[in-house]
Amino acid sequence: MIRVEQLRKSFGTLEVLKGITVEIRKGEVVSIIGPSGCGKSTFLRCLNLLEQPTAGSIHVDGVDILDRRAEVARLRQRMNMVFQSFNLFSHLSVVANLTLGPIRLKGMEPKAAREKAIELLRLVGLAEKADSYPDELSGGQKQRVAIARCLAMEPEVILFDEPTSALDPTMVREVLSVIRRLAKEGMTMVIVTHEMDFARDVSSRVLYFDQGVIHEEGTPDQIFDHPQRDRTRAFIHRIRSLTRRFASPDFDLYALNAEVEAFCEKQILSRPVRDNLLLLIEESLQLCRPFLAVGGLEMTLSHSETTDRTELVWTAPGVRLNPLDGEDLEDALSLNLVRNLCASADHEWVDGVNRLKLVLKTGSES
Amino acid sequence: MDIQTHTSGAATVVVLSGKLDTVTAPAFEKRIREVIGTGAVRLVLDLSAIEYISSAGLRGLLVMSKLLKEKQGKACLVGVKGNVRSVFEMSGFLTFFRAEETVEAAVAALG
Repeated sequence: MIRVEQLRKSFGTLEVLKGITVEIRKGEVVSIIGPSGCGKSTFLRCLNLLEQPTAGSIHVDGVDILDRRAEVARLRQRMNMVFQSFNLFSHLSVVANLTLGPIRLKGMEPKAAREKAIELLRLVGLAEKADSYPDELSGGQKQRVAIARCLAMEPEVILFDEPTSALDPTMVREVLSVIRRLAKEGMTMVIVTHEMDFARDVSSRVLYFDQGVIHEEGTPDQIFDHPQRDRTRAFIHRIRSLTRRFASPDFDLYALNAEVEAFCEKQILSRPVRDNLLLLIEESLQLCRPFLAVGGLEMTLSHSETTDRTELVWTAPGVRLNPLDGEDLEDALSLNLVRNLCASADHEWVDGVNRLKLVLKTGSES
Repeated sequence: MDIQTHTSGAATVVVLSGKLDTVTAPAFEKRIREVIGTGAVRLVLDLSAIEYISSAGLRGLLVMSKLLKEKQGKACLVGVKGNVRSVFEMSGFLTFFRAEETVEAAVAALG
């Protein structure tokens, strides 16, 4: 239905979309997720030409919509959009907001347009608000009116640009339930959203956008339960990380501790977890000492908000050397503490790089 | 880390506070050598103000134990609690060192 190839969009020197290629089929519900500023909304606005792409192509049912002869108004009827900020006409009643487009653009009779509008308002649970004005409605009600207005144009595709971002949490559900209903009825939809549970439930496919490209795509199961790429995993599990490099054995342990403590405070980690983490870092640094004498060492500390997993990874290039195999008696105490503090401790040597992965025990495991 | 010493009966009480880790363990070892060097062979090590201990600190305690053994001396710990206690438990040090609740009990235990 929609075929996008190598779509690029720049604002001045800033390239926001760096080559998006994707196909959206009829009846699909495609959710677009990703960090702020990754190009999700820009992509949606390019689809219905609210932004003019810098390069690439968009075909809708085989028609090149970037062709200068393309009828933009007709395209927007087929591919209508629901905005984060509702964009209702505040000087028009709810029903007039719904009938304006069908009467002006589709030449519909006012009476028929009103009947259709009331039917759609009933669908979104707002028939009794037909003669109210937008300012008399709550945010959730305004967004449901915006969805009904979009449906009034009988679009083949609806583009939702963060439809719940401007709503109080209590109003999010009422809007999402309307979108869920449309999904069940087979409406083709592309939804930019930060509501992960919703995206998981409603989508047939999920696109994870990052740094202006589709970094990963798949079914909700694939993206939410088995993400393949590190950046997707970090986003899905809300993983925050801290990376530090050590070039010599004369590093400043207290400066490192201060950074780790600040990290723990930011992630709201408990005092016992923080103490165990500081100990794990000091003890594993002791075990990794041989790396400091040669090529240096890198530490990545990460914590997942969703799984509560705290992981410490040490990487060092060089010959294969497993710090967990240390026979040095000096290291026996450190090794014992590391094993006691960790739910798992694994070493691997891949492409000439040693990687020691330590997963801190959670409260229930210790 | 701060180290203070005083005598209580026949024992020398060494009061530690702060962190006993890679950075401070050498200073602890040096001070303990000095204390034992003066002839003190009954040591009470008060750890109640220690907020953090790592294996480096534990190694310092082993050095102390070895030096005392050479002089037929002995040590007793006090205030092994919280985070410090869990490190002692993980490393098995609680079976290696005698520990008492109070300095008085530790002094009495050393005879």
